[in-house]
Amino acid sequence: MSFQAKLTSGEFVVLAEMDTPKGVDISDLVTNVRYLKSRVDAVVIPDQDNGVMHLGALAGGAVMRQQGMEPLIHVCGRDKNRMALQSDLLAAHVLGIHNLMVVKAEEMINGDHPDAKIVDDLDDLGILSMIRSLTTGTDLAGFELRGKPQFTPGIAVPPIADQADLEKQVADARKKIAAGAAYIVLQPVFDLTFYTQIIDAFTPLNVPVIPSVFLLKNVGMARYISINDPGSRLSEDLIRRIRKARDRETECIAIAGEMIHALKGISRGIKISALGWEDRLPAILDSAGL
Amino acid sequence: MITAEQKPIQEIIQYIAPYGRILLVGCNECVTVCAAGGRKEVGLLASALHLNSLKQGKTIDIKEITLERQCDPEYVEELAPYIDGADAVVSMACGCGVQSVAARYKTSPVFPAVNTRFMGASLGQGVWAERCKGCGDCVLGITGGICPVARCSKHLLNGPCGGTSNGQCEIGPETDCAWRLIWERLKELGMEDRYEDLMNAKDWRPGGAAGPGKIIREDLAQ
Repeated sequence: MSFQAKLTSGEFVVLAEMDTPKGVDISDLVTNVRYLKSRVDAVVIPDQDNGVMHLGALAGGAVMRQQGMEPLIHVCGRDKNRMALQSDLLAAHVLGIHNLMVVKAEEMINGDHPDAKIVDDLDDLGILSMIRSLTTGTDLAGFELRGKPQFTPGIAVPPIADQADLEKQVADARKKIAAGAAYIVLQPVFDLTFYTQIIDAFTPLNVPVIPSVFLLKNVGMARYISINDPGSRLSEDLIRRIRKARDRETECIAIAGEMIHALKGISRGIKISALGWEDRLPAILDSAGL
Repeated sequence: MITAEQKPIQEIIQYIAPYGRILLVGCNECVTVCAAGGRKEVGLLASALHLNSLKQGKTIDIKEITLERQCDPEYVEELAPYIDGADAVVSMACGCGVQSVAARYKTSPVFPAVNTRFMGASLGQGVWAERCKGCGDCVLGITGGICPVARCSKHLLNGPCGGTSNGQCEIGPETDCAWRLIWERLKELGMEDRYEDLMNAKDWRPGGAAGPGKIIREDLAQ
């Protein structure tokens, strides 16, 4: 069953994120994705994630198709104007890529090409409206398309710092759902109580809410997230648990697995990010019982 | 100067429709020079808004004032005696002035009456043209005093595209090809060899790619 069909039918969806290489050697991507066959519903391919130039999501999505996996690609307006975005989305359809996630891009200044010009022709709402327009057979200039592309667009909600921020993000998501977003992906939170509050706040919007879990790799990474992203609610207890573990990698995989298992009961799906450790994705799925 | 043009009157009327007492604020700097928001334009807009109110069978109270510089807190302060007597402020300054007023008077709605257009120069009576994009890394020293970032419609840094014809840009006969102008100017100055110099991909950070610009002069800042 396709990702879109599962969203519609209410079945639990499993997404795994895999970054494309910085270069043209796709061997790791191809190898890692083979282990995910029939275990995930779609592979999420970011586009220039964290502002770092990579092989584009369109190519990554096409590779997924070649490997028999369903792709879901990021779309953002930082690097492309409406001409390029529309053209790439038509290409996406032709290449068999129908799942889109509209994301807010990392600031150019924080990426690896900080001197590049920023495009930002369309914002998230503009991109969602553009997708809707294309799927109804018209481009943004009002011209009729020869053949209508089909897409299932969703949105990624930015990290949520606190209750006040949560209310604002829910209001933002409501607007984006009205503009065509068919599902919501949340950023990782390491405190299940707060994550439950967040999921509960988005649930009344009546689209599937998909929380994210990412794999902590070590104490340093956990500490960094805890300090720099307070919204992640990554506790000292969790950092201590990793530090005290005999096998820290196995412990990190167990932590991700436990979180996924807990979220399975309260959400419509899960997105798993291994942040470079994509070869551990099967182990995370095993640990979560998926 | 920063150039601007008055917004369509209907848009301004729509902004102020809920309010009866308006503080209409002009600026004595750039928008005066480009005849968009100086003392004279404040008077003209006030008359137009009064006329519209009469047509609607309503009354409107408009206090007119033109500040020396609306982007300068020192002058924005001069609105303080009038602000409580107004339900809303309409600013005829550029976007910098509108925001300076809004930042100072937080409880007053502030609406723009002009559209800020570009940094430009006067070409003659009633004609202004864009001359600077504020890219933050000026190349005029290399390009004979003619800016390819602001004046080439493709912002090309190393010569013209294929669309230049008889010295004009393919965008339309009203637009000179910046690179034709640069070449002619360099020739006139005997600096044609400069044309051979390659300009590398531009660093767009100083021009906005690094977020909203800010200059702090340590020797002046308090």
